[in-house]
Amino acid sequence: MKYSYIKPRQKSAFTAEIQLLVIFFFITLGMLFITYLFLLFKDYNFLSDMDEMATAQSELSVNIEDMKEQITFIEKENLLAQRVYTQNTVLKDSIANLFDLVPQRITLSEAKLLENGLILYGVTPNKDIYNFMLQAPLRSIFHRTYSSFYPAQNGWLRFVSTNYIDEEINFSQEIDSEN
Amino acid sequence: MKINISRQHIYLIAILTFLLVFVLLFSFALLIPKGKEYRKNRVELKKESKELRRYQNFHNEVENRLKELQSENRNIISAFDATFDPYRFQKQHRNYFSALTLSPLSKVSDDDEFIAYEVNTTSEISSPKSFYEFLDAVNKSDWIISVEFPINFKRDGEMIKSSFTMKVFYANNDRNSTTKVTE
Repeated sequence: MKYSYIKPRQKSAFTAEIQLLVIFFFITLGMLFITYLFLLFKDYNFLSDMDEMATAQSELSVNIEDMKEQITFIEKENLLAQRVYTQNTVLKDSIANLFDLVPQRITLSEAKLLENGLILYGVTPNKDIYNFMLQAPLRSIFHRTYSSFYPAQNGWLRFVSTNYIDEEINFSQEIDSEN
Repeated sequence: MKINISRQHIYLIAILTFLLVFVLLFSFALLIPKGKEYRKNRVELKKESKELRRYQNFHNEVENRLKELQSENRNIISAFDATFDPYRFQKQHRNYFSALTLSPLSKVSDDDEFIAYEVNTTSEISSPKSFYEFLDAVNKSDWIISVEFPINFKRDGEMIKSSFTMKVFYANNDRNSTTKVTE
């Protein structure tokens, strides 16, 4: 027996309002999850970037140290080379001065240039010429000067002049000590 | 007073409450701390990036200085790296002497940076001027050479016999640092 002429409609808990609500919440949750995933991805990115930067920084640091060492070494090479060049030039000037020091009337047969001294062998017409023209300038340069004479066959005098400088710091020693 | 709430409304309120709680929990427990961490990391990354740029600039400055020094001192560097060749030395400097003889090299000092070898030289020159020219030429030679005391000059007829010691300096390539620029 029928009490109504209309067919009963199916009732569901998911009414239109609830469906709307669920969609709304799903969109919200979706946005929240997407934001969270974005943050996770960014964090991972940051960490990997930081790692790369730290590696690059340590590589740069090693390179800088290495280059600094090279710079120091080149500067040392340059310094040593300049000292050697100067030493050779000074030596050249010293030898030139020595030969300029010897007067025309005195003939040298041998010269020994030592680190702190000079030994000259030669012949002189007489002692006076030697004393005035060679020994006097030698005395002004060296701290200690010793001379000895013995007669030569032609009536001239052979001499040996030994000259020393005291407590003079030698240039080559200076270079050695720096090395 | 009787409150009449339909079952549908109860579902609605329950779902709403559940979702709200979930959103709040999710936000406060995960999203907000992560956001804070993100902000902190971003600041830190910016700082690190600035520091790296500073390092890079300094690296470039040092590299430029090194390259500048290498190009300025190219001859000196190659002279320190060159192996002493007695035959080549004699060939290059024989013009200054009538005769030139070199003894074999002997090592006199060896430290972390430089090695020095000694070579005894005997020669014959016609005048001291040749020796001065030789000393000038030694400074322009392919090696770093210093002429050392004692130096002997002895008259022998029209010639002057000379004997002296030369010190040849080398860079010690076994030292700890590398010699090339790291790009």
